[in-house]
Amino acid sequence: MSQLFDALLLLLLIATAITVVRATDLVAAVVKFGLYSLMMCVLWQHRGAPDVAIAEAAVGAGVTSVLFLLTVARTTRVEKP
Amino acid sequence: MVLFGVDVDYLAFVVLFCVGLYMLVRKSNLLKKLLGLNVMETAVFAFLVTSGMIEGADPPIRTAGTGPLFANPIPHAMVLTGIVVAVSVTAVALALIVQIHAHYGTIEVDELKGLP
Amino acid sequence: MRWLGLALVVVAAATLMLGVADLPPHGAHDAPVHTHVGARYLERGVAETGMRNLVTAVLLVYRGFDTFLEVVVIFSALVAVVALPRGRAARSRDGDDQPPAALLTREGPAQERISVSPVVAFVVQLLGPFIAVFALASLYRGHVSPGGGFQSAAIFGALFIALALVQGRERAARLVPRGARVWLQALGPLSFALIGGVGWVLTGAFLGYPAEAAAYALREAMVVAVEIGIAVGGAVILAQLFMAMEG
Repeated sequence: MSQLFDALLLLLLIATAITVVRATDLVAAVVKFGLYSLMMCVLWQHRGAPDVAIAEAAVGAGVTSVLFLLTVARTTRVEKP
Repeated sequence: MVLFGVDVDYLAFVVLFCVGLYMLVRKSNLLKKLLGLNVMETAVFAFLVTSGMIEGADPPIRTAGTGPLFANPIPHAMVLTGIVVAVSVTAVALALIVQIHAHYGTIEVDELKGLP
Repeated sequence: MRWLGLALVVVAAATLMLGVADLPPHGAHDAPVHTHVGARYLERGVAETGMRNLVTAVLLVYRGFDTFLEVVVIFSALVAVVALPRGRAARSRDGDDQPPAALLTREGPAQERISVSPVVAFVVQLLGPFIAVFALASLYRGHVSPGGGFQSAAIFGALFIALALVQGRERAARLVPRGARVWLQALGPLSFALIGGVGWVLTGAFLGYPAEAAAYALREAMVVAVEIGIAVGGAVILAQLFMAMEG
């Protein structure tokens, strides 16, 4: 059961990372990156690292995403192909 | 889980690292490059945390009713340090991206090439 | 040139695969990573440092210099971001139709202000006190349960950013007293240096902690002082980074 959960989570992580690469709307890319970070901290909690999971949930998914979004608001929103 | 002599979890982290590296190298948009760098960093952190885990072990907090096996605390401490450094690097890079946009009006590397 | 980047990715992937293939499978309790210094910390950490959370023990006691310089790193990041010229300080370029000043003003194309939904604002304000209590608990109980200075700083910083997004930056900025801001944002390195100096006087080594069982209360007080410094300093730095990037 635990191995199935891990395998599913890893597959979802890879899929999310690929959608970050493919997104041309930068807001969408940043939100998907936040999702990637949150799933990563679920994985770490599952692997016996609650300290790291708390820090990643607050900093990696929260603060970093907000800083990225502020930058998007002050520059451009669309990635040119 | 081991497949063809390689641990599947480590394999997944290598794939994530390479997805981030691809984004860093091939994308022209500076913001996408920075997102790629962050994906790479997170993959490395996940590798370190996973290398510190022990099957069926408790988190490394020795209170009553835990044990006898505990996860290795050193990778966790290293990753905590790494997360803080990662957010510092990201903040400085984002501030520079805002400045580049203010000076040149674009954040695409292809368009920035050759500008004075 | 496009194939060069792809080739780099393929080479990196192959190299990493070769490296990973030699590692023992994860989760084995007798892998080399678990049998050296990690095992020693697990075995004697509680007796040597008095902290039950061994991650905090490694961060503050066994690897104190590392953490000291890490606090300096995030402080330097704030200095770098604040030192960059603000907003419309861009130099003018010849032959440009648009004056550079217009690129960053609020009227620019990417600057549509979106008002916050009342539901989101209400939920953030409702949960705010509970998040603050959680951050305080993870600071105060950081050496016996999951948490510690950095986690507390991260939660406080995220809470400040959430409040600033729903209430406006002026109201949120009042949470950090203006006169004390300069000192608060440097509190991490300052408290670390101070406690390191105290340890030097007491034990003869920078960042040393008195090891005798009788000095238990003193050691605890030193650890809590460093943790408070990291938490308050880190939270103020995250808040200042947000303010610098936003305005």
